[in-house]
Amino acid sequence: MPVPAIVTVTVIWSLAASPDRLPLVAILAFRGVSKRFGGQVALDGVTLEVSQGEVFGLMGPNGAGKTTLIRIGLDILRADEGEVSLFAAPLDRTTLDRTAYLPEERGVYRRAKVRELLSYLGRLKGLKSANAREAAAHWLGRVGLSHVAEQRVESLSKGMTQKVQIAACLMSDPELCVLDEPFSGLDPVNVALVKDLIEERRASGLTTLLSTHLMHQVEALCDRVALIHRGRVVVYGDLEEIRRRYSPHEVVVWTSMDLVELGVDAIRDANGSWRVSLPHAETAAGYLNELIRSGVLIDRYEPLVARMDDIFVNLVSGGAE
Amino acid sequence: MRPDRVIAVAKFELLSVVKRWSYLITTFGLPLFLALISGTVLGAQTYFLTQRAAESSSFGLIDEANVVDQSVFEDDGGARVWKVNAIEVELYASLDAAKDDLEAGRIRALYVVEPDYLKTGEVRAVQSDKTPLLSMRGTTVEPVLRSLLRRSLMVDRLDEDVQERVLAPANFVRTRLTPGGDDVVSIDETIDLLVRTTVPLFLGVLLLTALLSASGYLVQTVSTDKESKIVEVLLASVTPEEILAGKLFGLGAAGLVQFAVWSSMVIFVALSASAALASVVAIPWQAIGVAPVLFVLGYLFMGSLMLATAALGANAAESQKLTLGWAMLAVLPLMVMVILLDEPHGFLGQLMTWIPFTSPLTVILRLAVDSAGIAWWEVIGSMLVLILSTWVAIRIGARLFRVGFLLTGSRPSLAELWRQAR
Repeated sequence: MPVPAIVTVTVIWSLAASPDRLPLVAILAFRGVSKRFGGQVALDGVTLEVSQGEVFGLMGPNGAGKTTLIRIGLDILRADEGEVSLFAAPLDRTTLDRTAYLPEERGVYRRAKVRELLSYLGRLKGLKSANAREAAAHWLGRVGLSHVAEQRVESLSKGMTQKVQIAACLMSDPELCVLDEPFSGLDPVNVALVKDLIEERRASGLTTLLSTHLMHQVEALCDRVALIHRGRVVVYGDLEEIRRRYSPHEVVVWTSMDLVELGVDAIRDANGSWRVSLPHAETAAGYLNELIRSGVLIDRYEPLVARMDDIFVNLVSGGAE
Repeated sequence: MRPDRVIAVAKFELLSVVKRWSYLITTFGLPLFLALISGTVLGAQTYFLTQRAAESSSFGLIDEANVVDQSVFEDDGGARVWKVNAIEVELYASLDAAKDDLEAGRIRALYVVEPDYLKTGEVRAVQSDKTPLLSMRGTTVEPVLRSLLRRSLMVDRLDEDVQERVLAPANFVRTRLTPGGDDVVSIDETIDLLVRTTVPLFLGVLLLTALLSASGYLVQTVSTDKESKIVEVLLASVTPEEILAGKLFGLGAAGLVQFAVWSSMVIFVALSASAALASVVAIPWQAIGVAPVLFVLGYLFMGSLMLATAALGANAAESQKLTLGWAMLAVLPLMVMVILLDEPHGFLGQLMTWIPFTSPLTVILRLAVDSAGIAWWEVIGSMLVLILSTWVAIRIGARLFRVGFLLTGSRPSLAELWRQAR
């Protein structure tokens, strides 16, 4: 059999975490944290760390305990058991000034003027009056709302109110920012704006804890994640590592040749690609070399990586019992 | 607690309240409205009195029963006239002459002592058809004429002393023993009535109204925070104690302004309306002086309890219901006001002085009714109890506040609240 020429080979290969995403210093750490409400266990021995400069994704179904964990991390609630450290020290009001929180249940004083509200929330974070006013003006500009500074919050649309809340959260330049479902209620343009702001924070070495149900946003933004289910951490670690861990041992091959005829254990997908189950102990790279040696003309070759949606559904719907 | 955060919360809450129309109207509009009403009533009274004074104050009298003591009448240009105070009573011999003068407006009314007066007591009052309907009765001359007739009936029949006693049978002079039991304090009846009831009652009601009004703002602000769901943002920045203290101070300042405005208006009106009264009525300055202190302490105590319980309500209506109990306790002294006024330093008064819910109002009442009867250590002691209770209330209140603030859905049991508040 003549050796076929390889026309184009595109390999998407990101199985290893890049060195600049490696955790450095734990900003927020939970060790064996438990919390009960009456007879109901909200958290059961949760241990995880959020590291400096990363975007950490906190995932879980409704009622899993995410909000309780966040509240405990920000000293809003007290844990029944376990330890919480913030900036490598026990929880303290001074260190909490270096954090900010956008809760899922958004709250504003609807009768207050936008500028007044932001200045007030800035003052509560320890900014001086003048600095709070300055920061309010700056962040209103960043989210494109300078023109509504003197309007009452109740006169704003839902999306605008949401942006005011995001501005309020970011205006003290917190070292740790906890965003609970920050994209809900935003149009695609504003989703992009918020994503840019999160990316900016990462580039500046600031930490973001992102709690969301939008798995594609987790994949796009997060360095590391934790999935909480029924008060327990069921998955925790580097995002790509987790995706790889839960991926099927398969690759997707784009070729004009019939792989089944060539004796390959493959299934043709609707889009014309071939889904190939790798033999046990075979790596994706090794199998690519084998295919080439076998004379397969390959247009594109990808190891099949699990989507976070699938991982989430599999674990929550019974896999993590 | 960090003072800058407490100040920030206090300032925000104060400005939020004082900019509300309801607050401005209640604080400044209501007193102005009352002053306007009072001014209008006083002005109208003054006008009508002036008008009346400008009218003729002369009256006619015909004695057809021959019973009137004529020695009091004097010659005045051919007429027989009796002048008493600002009233002139002219004695007419004929009915026609009197009617002519009545028609001409020279006299305002004509009184005819009927021939069978001694049997019937009838004195006919005749007025012109031009006389306004409302002035047909109760003119100032009638008591004077009664007195004249009474005196006339007694002349030459009774001693002058007896006559005087018939005219004024009793002049009550009220006295009361001091707590020492050996001195006697003389009290004028009118002053007694004013000092013992009106002034303390008014002060008490004012204090209570201001207390409940300020506490009402607290309930409102907690409900707003819960309903607007901003509570988590606040608690991520400041402690429950800082929020509680900030709200207490901010809204307390709003309440204090309200109390000061109302009190100033009342004192101003009282003093300016009756300078003569102020010179004889012993205004309870001690009670007035202590009132702001008791207001602040009472407010801090009630306020911290109200904040904590209001935080347990899911909405404004539920919070109002939950805090009603505290308000009822504060109103208790008003409910037993009659007993307190009668026996300000009795068992009930003394007991309620030491209960923080009732002490502000009770101390004010006791001081206002009889400042000599309450010992200084009772006043200071009740304040200390109030301060201690306030400290405890703030500590427990802040914990309940944190739990209640974050509560959604069904309200927890008392046992659960206690467990979480520890």
